[in-house]
Order: sequence, then C-alpha cells, then structure tokens
Amino acid sequence: MTEPLPLAGLTVLDISSFIAGPAAATTLADFGADVIKIEPPGEGDPHRQNYKSPNYPRGDHQVNFPWQLEGRFKRSIALDLKNDSARAILERLLRRADVMIVNFPPPARERLRLRWEDIEPLHPRLVYCSLTGYGESGPDRDRPGLDITAYFGRSGILDAARYEGGPPGLSLPAQGDRATAMTLVAAILLGLRRRDQTGKGGWVGTSLYANGAWSNGTTVAGALVGAKLLPRQAPDKPRNALTNLYRTKDDRWLQLLVVRDDRLWGTLCTAIDRPDLATDPRFTDRDERKMRSLDLVQELMPVFASRTYAEWEGALSKTGIPFGVIGRVADVVEDEQARHAGIFADTTNPEVPRTVNNPIRLGFAMPRVSGIPPAVGENAEEILRETGYSDAEIAELRKSGALG
Amino acid sequence: MTESSLPLAGLRVLDISSFIAAPAAATVLGDWGADVIKIEGPDGDPNRTIMNDSANYPKGAVNYPWQMDSRNKRSLVLDLKKPEARAALDRLIAISDILICNFPPLVRTNLRLGYDDVKSVNPRLIYASLTGYGETGPDRDRPGFDATAYFARSGLLDAQRYEDGPPGVPGPAQGDRATAMALFSAILMALIHRMKTGEGSWVGTSLLGNGLWSCGVIAQAALVGAFLPHRPPPDRPRSALGNIYRTSDDRWLQLTIVREDKMWAPLCEAIGHPELIDDPRFAAIEERRKRAAELAAILSAAFARRDYEHWLHALASHSITFGVISRPQDIPDDVQAFHAGAIVETAIPDMPLTLANPIHVSFAKQRIAHPAPALGEHGDEVLHQAGLTAHEITELRASGAVR
Repeated sequence: MTEPLPLAGLTVLDISSFIAGPAAATTLADFGADVIKIEPPGEGDPHRQNYKSPNYPRGDHQVNFPWQLEGRFKRSIALDLKNDSARAILERLLRRADVMIVNFPPPARERLRLRWEDIEPLHPRLVYCSLTGYGESGPDRDRPGLDITAYFGRSGILDAARYEGGPPGLSLPAQGDRATAMTLVAAILLGLRRRDQTGKGGWVGTSLYANGAWSNGTTVAGALVGAKLLPRQAPDKPRNALTNLYRTKDDRWLQLLVVRDDRLWGTLCTAIDRPDLATDPRFTDRDERKMRSLDLVQELMPVFASRTYAEWEGALSKTGIPFGVIGRVADVVEDEQARHAGIFADTTNPEVPRTVNNPIRLGFAMPRVSGIPPAVGENAEEILRETGYSDAEIAELRKSGALG
Repeated sequence: MTESSLPLAGLRVLDISSFIAAPAAATVLGDWGADVIKIEGPDGDPNRTIMNDSANYPKGAVNYPWQMDSRNKRSLVLDLKKPEARAALDRLIAISDILICNFPPLVRTNLRLGYDDVKSVNPRLIYASLTGYGETGPDRDRPGFDATAYFARSGLLDAQRYEDGPPGVPGPAQGDRATAMALFSAILMALIHRMKTGEGSWVGTSLLGNGLWSCGVIAQAALVGAFLPHRPPPDRPRSALGNIYRTSDDRWLQLTIVREDKMWAPLCEAIGHPELIDDPRFAAIEERRKRAAELAAILSAAFARRDYEHWLHALASHSITFGVISRPQDIPDDVQAFHAGAIVETAIPDMPLTLANPIHVSFAKQRIAHPAPALGEHGDEVLHQAGLTAHEITELRASGAVR
C-alpha cells in the first residue's frame, strides 16, 4: 500500500527561525523532503532554547521537547550569512534546492540579499516561501510579528475569545504559528504544482496576521458587513442553553452542542431523564428555548451536576447528541481515539519517544518516523560535500568563521 | 492574469460536505481556479442558515458566512438516498478530480460514498475526507464540530483558561478554518502524487488532529510529562510587566516588556508615575516579581484612567512594546489587513469586502468572490456537463432525486 513518499527527492532550505516556518519545513520532511536547516553559528535557531521559557510547559526533567517538532528530520548547517564566503555557500546550496523558506523581517532580507528579487535571477525554478508577521507591505511590514501579537491579538481572536466583562482570551505557546504552518505547506505545494506545470518557480507566502484573520474569519467577515459578535456569556448565563458548558459532578466541563435542537430536543430530554421538559410549555420550540435560555440553564445545570462525566458519556454517546468534554492535555496523550486518528507517532529518540504528527493523512504514504533532531551545524560537512566542496575548502570556511 | 492561468484551473471538485472546515477547503480550491460543484441535500447545507441558527454568530443583514464559504461555487441538489440520484452522482464523479466528503462514516457506508465505492468509478479521483475524530476507533462515528473536536477534546480550551476560571472560548468556526488549510494541503499532496503516478488516492484530516497540531507545544510537552500551569488572572500575574490592562474605554493592552532593566523607567514615565522609578519596593526584577500583584494593582489603576488611543501614543513615544488586542470591528479599518491581503474586494453587491484565503503567490491572484449560489441553482447545467440528457434530467426531477 505504501508508495514512495510524495515529497521524496525535493530539497528544502529552511532559513527560518522559531516555529511557523520551521514547522512547515517539518511537515514537508515528514512526507519525504530533504530539509537543510541553515542556522546562525553558535546557538543556532533561538527556538532551540524555547523549552526553557517560563511560558513553556515544565516537567521533572528538562527535555528539549519542542525541538522534536521543529527540528525532526532536518540536517543542520551553521552559516554566518553576513560573511561573504557564507553567501557563496548559500548560493551553491540554493542552486540544488527546490524550496526555500524565509521568515526574516523585510529589512533583514534586504540586507542579506535574501528577497525573492535577489534570488530569482540565481534560481528561477525555486519556490521561495515567505512568512511575515503582517504582510509584505504596509505600515507594519517591518514590525516583528509573533503569534500572540500578530495572529491572536491583531486579528481580534483574543478579544472575541472572552466572557462578557472578563479579560481577553488566552492563546497557547505557538498555537497560531502551528496553524499557520499548514498554510505555508499549502502555499509551497501550490508553488510546486505550478512549477510542474510551467517549469517556473515563484514567490509564495503568508502572514501570521492573515492566518489569524482567516481562522477568525466568521467573526471578521461579520465585522466587514457591520455584524457584531456578542460577548460570550458565562456558562450560567448562556444565550442558548443547548450550546453551553456544564460542570459535572466530578468537576469536568461538558460541552453540549445541540445545534439541531429542532430534531434533537426530545432525544435530549429523554437522555437526561427529564422527559417532563419535552412537554414543558416554556420550551416547546426553538425560539422559546432560546428566549428562555436562562430558565432552561437553571433546569440543566443541576441535572449535569448530578452525574460524573463518564456517566454522561454513557448516557449521551449513542443518542446522536453532539457533546464533548473539555479535554485535558494530560488525558489526550493516552486517548485511544487520538491513536486511531494518527495524531501521535513513536520516534527513535529516547529522550522524546513520542511526538505529534502533522495533521495531514495520506492513503498512499505514512509520515516518516523521526529520530534525534540535529545539533547546530551537525550535518555541515556532509551537506557541503554533496554540494561539491572539498575537505580543504571546508576547513578554509571553518577558519573564516563563515561556517559555524 | 486570466483565470485559466490560475494554478488549479481545469480541476473539477465535488464538494459533498457541510458546515465549514471541508467546504472552506473547497472554497480555497475555487479561489485558485478549480470549478467547485456543491452537492447539497434537499434541505441545503445547514451552513446556509447558521448565522441565524447559532446564538454565537454575529448577526448581519447579509448572510456573510454563507457568502464567504460558498463563493464561486455552483449548487446541485441531489437526494442521495434515492438510487437515481446516486447514479447521477457517479456520472459526476466520473468527470471530477476531487471529491470532498465530511459525512460521518456510517452515512458514507449507507450512501456508498466511501473511498472504495468511488474509486471504482474513477480511479484518478482524489477523495478528501474530513472527520471529527478520525476514520477508525471508538469515537469514529461521533459527530465532530470545531468547538468539541478541535477545541475541547484536544485540551486547547482547558489550557486556555485563567486559574479557577471557566474554559476558554473558541470563536465561531475558528478551528474549522484552520483545519481547511490542512485539508487543502492534503489535496495538493494528492495532486502531486497523481501527477507522478497517474493514480488517485484517499487523503484526509480530522478536527481533533488539527486541534492537537495547533497546540502541539503543550501536546508534545505532555508526551514527555511536562505541563503548563493555568495562567493566573490579570490581577495577580506572574509578572506585572507581562500582563494585560484594561483602559478607560474598556479596551485591553498587552504589555510585553522583556528588557525590564532598560524599560522600567520609561514605563513609569509613560504611565505618569515617575516616583516609582526609585521606589525600593520595585527596585529590580526580583522585587517586581515578588510584588507582582501590588504592582499590577498600581498599573491597573493607571491604565484605567485614560483611553486606548491615549495609551497607544503614550507607550509608543516611550518606545514601550505592547501587543494590540484588536476588536473584530477594528479590523475592517486596519490598513495593514489590506496590505496583508487578508481583506479583499468582492463582486457581491451587498458584501463588497470579504476575507481572502491566507495563501499568496506571485504568479496568480485569487479569484474575486461572486455571490454564493441559491440552493440547486446550477442543477441543470451541472448535470448537462456530466453528459445527462434533458430527458434524463427531467426524469430525475420528476422522481425527486434532483430538486
């Protein structure tokens, strides 16, 4: 069943840092691409240090777990791109590459001669993939874009993600970066398809801001026609008691999502052992249930608080009533369904024995099994030899400081 | 740039999906030139009415979510429970490149719409499957929505809450739209595979898988036994200089001061409390962290005295970095949103602006959005293209298989 990986034979230069760009490169590598990570000498990609950040999860042992996500399968070469000899190496690497991923802010690209207009004359077949915080032009073009500011803050997600009167919502480390990585993958594949069709490369790209706005698209599209999102009411004051959160007896949160209550109202009343509600004149149709959602929630809160989540799962799961639990990450990693959905994968890295798969599933190929991600510059010599450098030249480059 | 030069021109897509994640992937295919035929049941895609059906949608005079998710599509109504309709669908499958399906697995079996069923009709077809929770396993048949599968089950909402507070709040379709990008990528991967091998294939993704990919840092951490404690609420932050503050006009500012040693004095100046600069209670990082709640109370009171506009200028003039927490209603006026290509013009008279998909390429422009189709609007024309005669179409209509 499994055929050669779809991206086998492609060479990708990952000249990006932190998360969105590198995670896109990881996804390409998962499906067979040879990814060469170009990092600054010394510390390398600053993302290598993120596991020590106070905003990142901590365990008993310090393991560089995020690097398994962003570093896996890559080969690393450390180049000081400000050094002219390093530039020559880069150009030789470029000529053999199919894809290049860049996330330097525009002024740095210009200084380093890494804009598409700098690269295109050298290699017109290249797919040049650009990630920015806020786009390629405009007043905030040069502003450093982080996922919390560009994806979540600026796009209106954090403001929309709050309860009435409460503080803005929270985002998790790299949450928007990782969603954006899927867009970069799509952009690159579109570029490759076009190259297959025409023989020409091209510029492709996206911004964190555009991805936040896309993800928040329903709300933003509403704003474009003057429709305003009403702030979400706290779970005891919902606008619709049938799409609401309920605390269970064991202090979990059950999320009820009966969108089609025109069809499911009776089923729900039966499933929660409140057949009386089905004939309660206050709640006979959708409009009344919505209008009296504060009454309805007062009926439903004690019901849901009377049983554990496991008991509710038993009572609701065969009924067709959409519901879920507010999952805890700790549970998810043991979730049998997550295994079925192909979400996690074993690795051959003893320190990080399991990792998170990219969400793309293919009937004709499985993502590769990952090992230990590279140290800074670990694969420099093999990469340079493949590119035609002699041992003497490599030694020279090391001496000059171009090669870390 | 003519339409035929779009990278997906010439591809035909059957969008047999409903609501948002899967139809949005079809929309993106259409943006890049594919001909998208939306196949709906007699009641239509419930996304046609979700703006009014869902209490959590902004209410507009224009049906903007439907317009956005269905731009440039053609609509055909088939009652797939009727054998004649199913046979007509096979005629369409035979002339199509991509089929997008998000029926729950049981429904697919009943309608003979699994990959094996359609592969025999068209082996070059790319079958793109979206599920809530995956194709197998105990929760395979559970209906999956973005609030439940992407946000709740993945642990995102639990992680996105303040200590002791209720779970986080997902925006309408927020996870669906992010998932559309993964489904679109999967389809492009299959197109590359087909170009190499001549063969079609199954590809897919799940809302749960995308939720976990998005919170991959905490998921990967949990896999090695590392966890993130819930964030303390803004009145008792870990650091008062990395905290959010409400302004007098009920906006929020996100302070993100990393270089405290350098920025402490300018901050005190900017908020009109120069006396704090040498206040021994807050002399250095260590003291400021230890007395974070006390300092947050002072800063809260200061920020609450003036409006958002004031703080934008006051902080910028002291070179103090902060995150903008935009309200959705600010975005239509944000020049940068146009520069980022996020907002584009449409050919829809009552909805002149919409969101572009976030992919940009130098060699083509996304198609401009035309009005979304009425239910069944293109039935005759689509069936005619599939080679059905006028007589056959009349028969199908008479039987109720086509509406």
